[in-house]
Amino acid sequence: MTREKIISEIKEKLGGKIKKFRDKSAGRVYIDIERKDLAASARFVFKDLGARFNTATAADHPDSIEIMYHFNFDRQALIVTLTVYAPKGDCAVDSLLPMMRGAEWIEREIHELFGVDFTGHPDIRPLLLPDDWPKDKHPLRKSCVLTDYNNEKAKRKKEGQI
Amino acid sequence: MKTLIPILQFLIFPGFVFTAAAGLMASWIDRKLTARIQYRIGPPWYQPFADFVKLLGKETIIPAGGFRVLFLIAPLIGMAGVTLVSTLLWISILKASSGFAGDIIVAFYLLTLPALSLILAGFASANPLASVGASREMKMSLAYELPFILAIAVPVIKTGGALTIGGILKYQASCGAIAGSVSGAVALAVAVLCMQAKLGLVPFDISEAETELSGGPIIDYSGSPLAVFKLTKAMLLFTLPVFLVILFMGGIGLRGLPLLSGVLKYAALLVVIVLIKNTNPRLRIDQALRFFWGPVSAAAFLAVILALFGF
Amino acid sequence: MSLKKKALTKSIGVFHLSTGSCNNCDIEILDCLTPRHDVERFGITLVGSIKHADALLITGIVNKQCRPILKKLYDQMPKPGFVIAVGTCSAGRGIFRNTYIVDEDEPLDKVVPVDVYIPGCPPKPEAIIDGIVKLIDKFNTGKGEKK
Repeated sequence: MTREKIISEIKEKLGGKIKKFRDKSAGRVYIDIERKDLAASARFVFKDLGARFNTATAADHPDSIEIMYHFNFDRQALIVTLTVYAPKGDCAVDSLLPMMRGAEWIEREIHELFGVDFTGHPDIRPLLLPDDWPKDKHPLRKSCVLTDYNNEKAKRKKEGQI
Repeated sequence: MKTLIPILQFLIFPGFVFTAAAGLMASWIDRKLTARIQYRIGPPWYQPFADFVKLLGKETIIPAGGFRVLFLIAPLIGMAGVTLVSTLLWISILKASSGFAGDIIVAFYLLTLPALSLILAGFASANPLASVGASREMKMSLAYELPFILAIAVPVIKTGGALTIGGILKYQASCGAIAGSVSGAVALAVAVLCMQAKLGLVPFDISEAETELSGGPIIDYSGSPLAVFKLTKAMLLFTLPVFLVILFMGGIGLRGLPLLSGVLKYAALLVVIVLIKNTNPRLRIDQALRFFWGPVSAAAFLAVILALFGF
Repeated sequence: MSLKKKALTKSIGVFHLSTGSCNNCDIEILDCLTPRHDVERFGITLVGSIKHADALLITGIVNKQCRPILKKLYDQMPKPGFVIAVGTCSAGRGIFRNTYIVDEDEPLDKVVPVDVYIPGCPPKPEAIIDGIVKLIDKFNTGKGEKK
């Protein structure tokens, strides 16, 4: 199964679901899809094409949170990335469990650090943060300011501490 | 005066002080040889002595939920056992008639004390890792004691039933080393493997394997009790090969050529131990059990049968 | 110099603890034990249990989860003992300063008393060995009494 065949199969099967297709380089292909099509597309790439689930990454945009799922085709040296956008007002995405057991912990991590709700995840408790961390503060969002560092530094300068 | 001499023999020569010094030197040879095999330089000659003195100077922390009295006594049990065995062996080397009937059986029983002290230590610390280490030590003990006693039976059979160390030495002085015969050679090989397990060295250091991970039965020991454990291990490294040299290779003479050849035999056994240690990975406990109850015990039975038939 | 102090400098059992590091310092510490640098010739060995340790080798930023663990481990180390902070992260948190997972008021030396800092990101094994030599010199000349 060559790289071209994989791409053509994805284009053919996912067809109308693909919002944007970016063939960036020999090793990387980025596909933007709608939130509602995530489960079906991931099932096709993971189960039918036999990819390996690598990891998931997330980024904070002004209106939405972008979540990327990376699937590796090791023999063809190709990584296919499915990107979904979860708007901040309604920050929920379908969980890829129980189809993909490997997604369990990364979804917990994205949930605690970004505040994205994964509907259907059986056990969405925090993974890395300490137990007494306030549940409404999501550290990796740009809006989460724990200390106003610039003002703190100016204040301490004025008081002569630094 | 008459009772003072055995006490001095036990405490100084050939007992505690002599065995401790010789054991620490043997442990340095082990570390230096290991370093050389791994293409490193290795520690200087006084390193085991420095380790021992340093441990004596550290504070002793006793775990709160542990069994305090047993925690402190357990190391001494092992050290007493090894010291007694070494005294017994060297008294018989120095004068072949000064043993007593059955002293070889006493030596075998006393050599189980270090393993017993590790087991007691592991269960006296209120630590789950120590308990796992202690239970593994128990299983290892079950595994290697059977072929070991069978291997010891071979010299006893060949000498026509002499149950004294002096008797075995006398036999080998006249009829040649027991390892020269077929049954003796097989029994020596079995005994070397059991010795490796008794010493707690790779590939059989399963109970203290946690040392690389976190400690085994001695995980909660610090300060002087830990120093006693490490000293016991070093003394075993000196005593067990001497035991095997006496049983199978003709013993260590007292002057001249027999002394030199005896020292060389001990050194050869030490080198074999270190080489086995450095070229093998660690076994799992079930693999070790299967190994000792399977091929090794079969070889030991074979050696006993061959000895009974005179080979 | 007493025999006890002399023996402590000749035979150091090191317990390695990473309190939230990127692991590069840990790899460099591992390099010190390899044949090229071989710290065993100085009497330094790696120990598995904190109760067998003479020196606590700390890498990483001391994040919120690790702070109580670090305090417990330091208390369990039998005294006299050393604390060695390896890497820029343990010296001053490096690039992880002001992140969400550290406590600004509790840097490493407010949790445990540090004896020597070895900065670098990561410090070379030669630098780590140099730091340990400087620690032994400081201990020998009595500057900074051992507890």
